[in-house]
Amino acid sequence: MRSLVVFSGSSHPQLTAQICQRVGVEPGKANLAKFSNSETSVEILETVRGADVYIVQSGCGKVNDNLIELLVMIQACKTASARKVTAVIPCFPYSRQSDAPFKRSGAPLTSAPPMTVPSTPKINDFNAEYPFNQETSGSVEMNDLNSKIHNLHIPTPNNSNQALPAQPQGGYKQWLARAGTLIANLLTCAGADHIITMDLHDSQFQGFFDCPVDNLRSMPLMLKYIQENIPNYQEAVIISPDAGGAKRATSIADKLSMDFALIHKERRHAEKPNKADMMLVGDVRDKVCILIDDIADTSFTITKAAKVLHDNGAIKIYAIITHAIMSGDAVERIQRSYLDEVIVSNTVPQDEHVKRCSKIKVFNVAPVFGEAIRRIHNGESVSMLFDTNYQIA
Amino acid sequence: MADNSIKIFTGNSHPELAKLVARRIGLELGKVNVLKYSNQETSVTIGESVRDEDVFIIQSGCGEINDNLMELLIMINACKTASARRITAVIPCFPYARQDKKDKSRAPITAKLTANMLTVAGADHVITMDLHASQIQGFFNIPVDNLYCEPSMIKYIRTCIPEWTNAIIVSPDAGGAKRATSIADRLNLDFALIHKERKKANEVSRMVLVGDVRGKIAILVDDMADTCGTLGLAAKTLVENGAEKVYAIVAHGILSGKAIKVINESVIEKMVVTNTIPHDEKMSICPKIDIIDISATLGEAIRRTHNGESVSYLFSNVPE
Repeated sequence: MRSLVVFSGSSHPQLTAQICQRVGVEPGKANLAKFSNSETSVEILETVRGADVYIVQSGCGKVNDNLIELLVMIQACKTASARKVTAVIPCFPYSRQSDAPFKRSGAPLTSAPPMTVPSTPKINDFNAEYPFNQETSGSVEMNDLNSKIHNLHIPTPNNSNQALPAQPQGGYKQWLARAGTLIANLLTCAGADHIITMDLHDSQFQGFFDCPVDNLRSMPLMLKYIQENIPNYQEAVIISPDAGGAKRATSIADKLSMDFALIHKERRHAEKPNKADMMLVGDVRDKVCILIDDIADTSFTITKAAKVLHDNGAIKIYAIITHAIMSGDAVERIQRSYLDEVIVSNTVPQDEHVKRCSKIKVFNVAPVFGEAIRRIHNGESVSMLFDTNYQIA
Repeated sequence: MADNSIKIFTGNSHPELAKLVARRIGLELGKVNVLKYSNQETSVTIGESVRDEDVFIIQSGCGEINDNLMELLIMINACKTASARRITAVIPCFPYARQDKKDKSRAPITAKLTANMLTVAGADHVITMDLHASQIQGFFNIPVDNLYCEPSMIKYIRTCIPEWTNAIIVSPDAGGAKRATSIADRLNLDFALIHKERKKANEVSRMVLVGDVRGKIAILVDDMADTCGTLGLAAKTLVENGAEKVYAIVAHGILSGKAIKVINESVIEKMVVTNTIPHDEKMSICPKIDIIDISATLGEAIRRTHNGESVSYLFSNVPE
């Protein structure tokens, strides 16, 4: 029987320890550090020759550092003659595309809510300070170098409104790079033979790879949580906070025979095109509401949705999120919002978030990953992990 | 003469160098926004059309190397999917160049990984400077131009070091001997070498000078200066052996960790580095640092690549 080695990257060693416990091996010994010039240093301290190697690294925290560390570890194991290297990536980085809608002129439609750090994919509205239009700008608070040439954003909390994409010139719209295919290609060129991930934002991502991708589901765990922890759940309503997540929410609602509703951003007023009304489609009066979403980054979506539900008469509001990245002041925003409880998985480390917010509860996905790794290593079928009737012990 | 135009973009690693290079060619830098989302992912937005253009992306492997590397890869990929005709990655200081062989068990060859990543992202051509090992060119299947700082260093020695005719070129370790002898030959100077002698495994090694430096100005020449431990010790050895003054000329001055402290406390007269890596903050705390500007070499290489002219001139001359 080929030996099995599970290594942890720096992003989430706690999850790896739980996975290893489930699989029944010790976590592999490796030294992960940075050289003094901030290059990544990887030393694998046990033999991997002829072994099946699994490297667990989540795309959270310092995403670029963790991604490069993962690639270097894959390469190290490959050149050390590992038989097969699998990258286990609970939260896949760079999986989202920009979802800001555009006006006919090419300018983005939504304006960013006030934030202290630049928010993830919302594109801010144009304003007159935009440096691309002003070769002699004095109003922009950047040094001479930047204002003369183009914007090089040095991320500071105050600059969030200045780091904006280009004003269209002569019909050219800006080109926002989507890094999805690139990440898939990088993983393959580093030498990964297999990818295991969970709840990919875009399930077509599997097609970007030439190697097998196992896109595990957290839905069975969510169903289990709802059945065990939400009293009288059959009377509750499943809500999708935006139109894109409707399919995900309806599949849960069907499995539990619950009602379903949807929140929809509708632009009604021609005079105020920036003002987006959030409309509830469905009835939640005097009901317990359960919001379902796959990613909570800035938590704007779920907190705004919670307000809409509250205004429409919901009595209690839960949110169940798979990947709770919670960047910036997302956690504080949740604490202040109308949400009663936010249930998240531990694909992203949650210890800090739980300390800062009493509303956050965590459900453990390590058993799913551990079971997947065990079955893959033994050559057994993984299908039961997608079966919602199958309960992982 | 190419029928498309040059577009030069830069990431956040070294914008000043990119500005100098663009000015040298006579162009404005291309409009691009490279920033970080709140969840630390990199975001690249290209603000002008690159369809069918000759794109050059200038990004050095310095500072936060992983972030800068990802910026470079995403920018290359963005230009590729935006139908650029050719994409050249201009990387003055190549990242992970020192991890280029499996020198112990299970060591990764990260330089090869970086080469693969650049190719996979969509680069068609790479221009770099003073690779730690020029064999790294072989890691790529695409053409690599490994330019040299040597002509710039020689010009600096001739113009900025007084009494250079009485100098001696010293290599701080055995691996750099070839580099140092080549400079010594061009300047018609003598050559010496410092050799680390290890008696036992854990014993502090002695630095042995091979050659005679009495009464001369010693010029230490190396390709990289990271923590400067070797350079500091080498300078001390040279002075103990009779050198009058010690200069250090290094192509890539990474100067991380305690390097500035070591330089300030050492007997080195001047620490000369090129601007492949930005040094503004370091110069304010270390008065011994002097900069050689290599933007002319890079700019000329870009111009010649675009026009289909030979780049060989740059291997022995500094463009005016």
